[in-house]
Amino acid sequence: MPVVLDIGLDIGAGVARRAHTCSTWCLGAATMSGSALQQPGAEGQHHMALDETVAPAPVALAAARAVGLEKTYGKGDSAVHALAGITVEFGRGEFTAVMGPSGSGKSTLMHCMAGLDTPSAGATFVGDQEVSRLDEAGLTRLRRDRIGFVFQSFNLVPTLTARENILLPVDLAGAKVDEDWFDFLVGQLGIGDRLSHRPTEMSGGQQQRVACARALIRRPDLVFADEPTGNLDSNAAGEMLGFLRHSARELGQSIVMVTHDPRGAAYAGRVVFLADGTIVGDMSDPTAESVLEQMKQLGT
Amino acid sequence: MWKVTVKGILTHKLRLALTGLAIVLGVTFISGTLVLTDTLHNTFTSLFGNVYQHVDFQVRSKAAFTSNSAGGGAVRTPVPESVAGTVRAVPGVAYAEGSVSGYAQFVAPDGKAISTGGAPTLGVSFDPNPELSSLRVVAGHAPGSTHEIAMDEGTATKYHFHVGERVAVLLTGRPQTFTLSGIVRFGSAENLAGATLAVFDLPTAQSVLGKVGQYDAIDVLATPGADKAAVERAIARALPPGTEVVTGQTVAQEQSNSINQGLSFFSTALLVFAFISLFVGGFTIFNTFSITVGQRTRELALLRIVGASRRQVFRSVLLEAAVLGVVASIVGLGLGVLAAIGLEALLKGFGITLPAGPLVFLPRTVVVALVVGIGVTVVSAISPARRAVAIPPVAALSDQHEEQGESSRRRIAVGGVIAAVGVAALVVGLSEQAIALVGIGAVAIFLGIGMLAPVVARPMASVLGRPLALFGISGRLGRENSMRSPRRTAQTSAALMVGLALVSTIAVFGASLSKSATSSVDEAISADYIITASASGTGGFSQSVAPAAAVKGAAAVSTVYGGEFEFDDVVSNLTAVSTEHLADTVILRVEQGSGAPALAAGDLLIDTTTAATKHLSVGSSVAVTFAKTGSSTMKVGGIFKPNALIGSYLVSDAYFLSHFDDPLPVAVLVRSAPGATGVGAALDRGLRSYPNLQVQTRAQFEQSQQAQVNQLLGLVYALLALAVVIALIGIVNTLMLSVFERTHEIGLLRAVGMRRRQVRAMIRSEAVILALFGAIIGVVIGTGLGVAFADSLQQQGITDLVIPVASLVVFLVLSGLLGLGAASWPARRAARLDVLAAISAE
Repeated sequence: MPVVLDIGLDIGAGVARRAHTCSTWCLGAATMSGSALQQPGAEGQHHMALDETVAPAPVALAAARAVGLEKTYGKGDSAVHALAGITVEFGRGEFTAVMGPSGSGKSTLMHCMAGLDTPSAGATFVGDQEVSRLDEAGLTRLRRDRIGFVFQSFNLVPTLTARENILLPVDLAGAKVDEDWFDFLVGQLGIGDRLSHRPTEMSGGQQQRVACARALIRRPDLVFADEPTGNLDSNAAGEMLGFLRHSARELGQSIVMVTHDPRGAAYAGRVVFLADGTIVGDMSDPTAESVLEQMKQLGT
Repeated sequence: MWKVTVKGILTHKLRLALTGLAIVLGVTFISGTLVLTDTLHNTFTSLFGNVYQHVDFQVRSKAAFTSNSAGGGAVRTPVPESVAGTVRAVPGVAYAEGSVSGYAQFVAPDGKAISTGGAPTLGVSFDPNPELSSLRVVAGHAPGSTHEIAMDEGTATKYHFHVGERVAVLLTGRPQTFTLSGIVRFGSAENLAGATLAVFDLPTAQSVLGKVGQYDAIDVLATPGADKAAVERAIARALPPGTEVVTGQTVAQEQSNSINQGLSFFSTALLVFAFISLFVGGFTIFNTFSITVGQRTRELALLRIVGASRRQVFRSVLLEAAVLGVVASIVGLGLGVLAAIGLEALLKGFGITLPAGPLVFLPRTVVVALVVGIGVTVVSAISPARRAVAIPPVAALSDQHEEQGESSRRRIAVGGVIAAVGVAALVVGLSEQAIALVGIGAVAIFLGIGMLAPVVARPMASVLGRPLALFGISGRLGRENSMRSPRRTAQTSAALMVGLALVSTIAVFGASLSKSATSSVDEAISADYIITASASGTGGFSQSVAPAAAVKGAAAVSTVYGGEFEFDDVVSNLTAVSTEHLADTVILRVEQGSGAPALAAGDLLIDTTTAATKHLSVGSSVAVTFAKTGSSTMKVGGIFKPNALIGSYLVSDAYFLSHFDDPLPVAVLVRSAPGATGVGAALDRGLRSYPNLQVQTRAQFEQSQQAQVNQLLGLVYALLALAVVIALIGIVNTLMLSVFERTHEIGLLRAVGMRRRQVRAMIRSEAVILALFGAIIGVVIGTGLGVAFADSLQQQGITDLVIPVASLVVFLVLSGLLGLGAASWPARRAARLDVLAAISAE
């Protein structure tokens, strides 16, 4: 088993502190109430870890991690280093936001971690599985069984109904549908009355909730959300982020979300800042203000 | 994944219907051909089965050899009448009677000879024994004297003949008039495979058909309860040498086999065109699937992201193709039954009448139609499916995804190799006369050129679109659109390319054939008038024509005979010309030996080609077999340059008449005396009693030869038209997909002020460019193929090579217009798009 080398970034601290993580699947937990969807207040202390040096967290706790990850496009003089050696760990049950300006490498990081893109150097892991070593079939199984995706543009199959879209990964795996889990997710997301509708017959918010259900239906180790609120109005965006936070807190779902919206990032338990292909900041229990502050500092 | 595929199919019904149409048409053609030929096969088999049901044995002469002509059976000579007596004397024989048949052609009430357009005009004898006769009298009574005749019901109905009327009949000798005593059926059919039947009593038939004292065959009935095998053996023992006895079933089998042999040639020809249509359909399927895979890039990538394996995506595309193939094949199968009826009508239009019968729908037809239809669809979708598999999952996340097909350099290399292999196969196939290899070569050339075409698509579209761009923004945009994706432009027009290539091949080949026919007449015949039967399929005409043609002003009259003989163990066509006036009527350029003197001496003349291939020279002795006289040897008396009229083998008329049983002239050549006038009119008058003949000047004869070629070409064009229609459906389909794909863009153009008319003009411009692109490449390939075909058949008489530039230009113009037509629906659809909805479409 590879050992994560500490190169000066706090990656375990936030994880270790998430005592309530994975505590319950809370089937009877409160549904998304209006208050739950409010912006988080100052309940969590924000915690800058830029300069702290902490021992690596136990590997077993990480939902996914990257080690010395580099991604270079092009060759020679025209080479672009999208990722310039990133080592990062995303804890189990943790909702992490990855932020950074355009071209900072956040999408590339996500693609490499999800096995959608191959790193130029370094390695990525989902659980204890080294993603970069998987062959095509292995990657397919990884995506199907262990990773869920939520995209900015929903990306539902237009010819399928909501129910069929949600169950698509189950069908592809040839597995049996866990009807209880399906009903629970649909109930949590409030799309029970939309199941027979096609994507074109639903609002953006509804479509994204269907996409969310699809991402969670296989109980993946990790959900990658790529600007999930980019195409939503602020109400729908709030509901979506609230659900993601809820999933992490109450269902123990590990989530990595790429975003450029500080208010969105504030829903996460941790924010990792990227610039020019390197991690330039890592913040726990963020608020919109603290995230904005951090971004301003990075921007200068 | 099944669900995704099935839902996708249900959502894109129109697109799939258009795509499937290509397969539907091809399968319709195939199943129609099979149903038609099976039906005919069944009709003939049961017809002959019924007719010979009660005949126990038939006695006849042994076959000398088997005829070369389509559907021709064994060539036999008659047996002497005395054999019938011999057979009757055999214990166990209850009844034995001879029969004869030969040439007899009815004259219609309007004075014109009744021709059949392919089937023979038969004169037959009537056997009064109802158990033995294949003919059933349905009106009047059987012919019973030298003045009476019966007629088949088909002819009587068609020409409104009634019992008791007088009817003129053209015979080997002088024409005669008979009283119509009755109407007959052949077994259960109105006539025999479209042949006309003139029925006489036996002595009359023997006399008018030139078989006095002879029978063609003797039908035998065994005594009831006799051991038939023993009777057959007893007859065989009693028979003189050179004759044989066979069972009635054998005769029925032989007769239906010989007709079915002709049918199989006919069905093979139709199936070739059916497969051409399917081949073109395959291009359309390939193109549509390529485009839809391109359009579904995001969706397919998304499926990969949520966990679909490559295999699942691959199978999904193929499954869609399979479903399409199944549905299209089933529809095609159903339409095929209707098409069988339609094909029959089409052939009737070209003068080929076929007997009616219940439609036969064999399981084999279903299997072939489904296997071929589904096979073509699925195979055509393999390459697009592989492209779908190559889509990386991350393509779902990026807005633009460059299609990652195989590199163009690799495609050029592969396409070039395939095309080169195709050319090689074609060249070898043509020189070795291997039709299958020629076909494979042509297919490979089309596939190879199809792969190479994208390379030239952009520059060619640019050039072709330049004139359109002069018409304003619509033309410019149409041109841009056709240049945008060279690969799609090339793929879309590939189907039309194949269609036009085949049409052009036929055009070049036909023009060369036509020209060769003309010039070969000039080089073969020096006579001024040529007298021939006006309808094909009659086999010849009366020997009394030549004397009648010796009108005032005719300096030389020469009769041409044709028949089959066995030369060097190969059945060949032998020609005979009157030796007397040879030099005045025929241009015989003797290279070695002598002409007329050698003929007069009873020698054989052969052409230089035969001499070269068989290594013969003047004085060589060759083995020949005639049906009448059996095997013997002949001396080669001279070698002449190839002559279209004569063919490869020539003997004197005297020799011919003594070696053939039933010699029928095929032409009479007349040379008018110098300065003589009115010879043509005199001939017309002199031959008034032969309405089956036509008197033509050499120029008219040449024209009629060309007309025959052109009629054949017309049939081939009609059969190829389906392939072109399928290609056009492909263009409609592609344009519809393009319009759908560019909804947003079209909305934008409309929003900034483009009028509906301009939108339509834009789509049409693109269609014209697409069509012309395919047509030009097709015409170029087709011209090449046509030249190659014509060149390879130089020995067979295609001596002139003609490239019909005017026709080819017409094809190009027509293609452009058809492209315009194909665009009308997509163009209207594009113009009708709601601007607001189009802009917001993603």
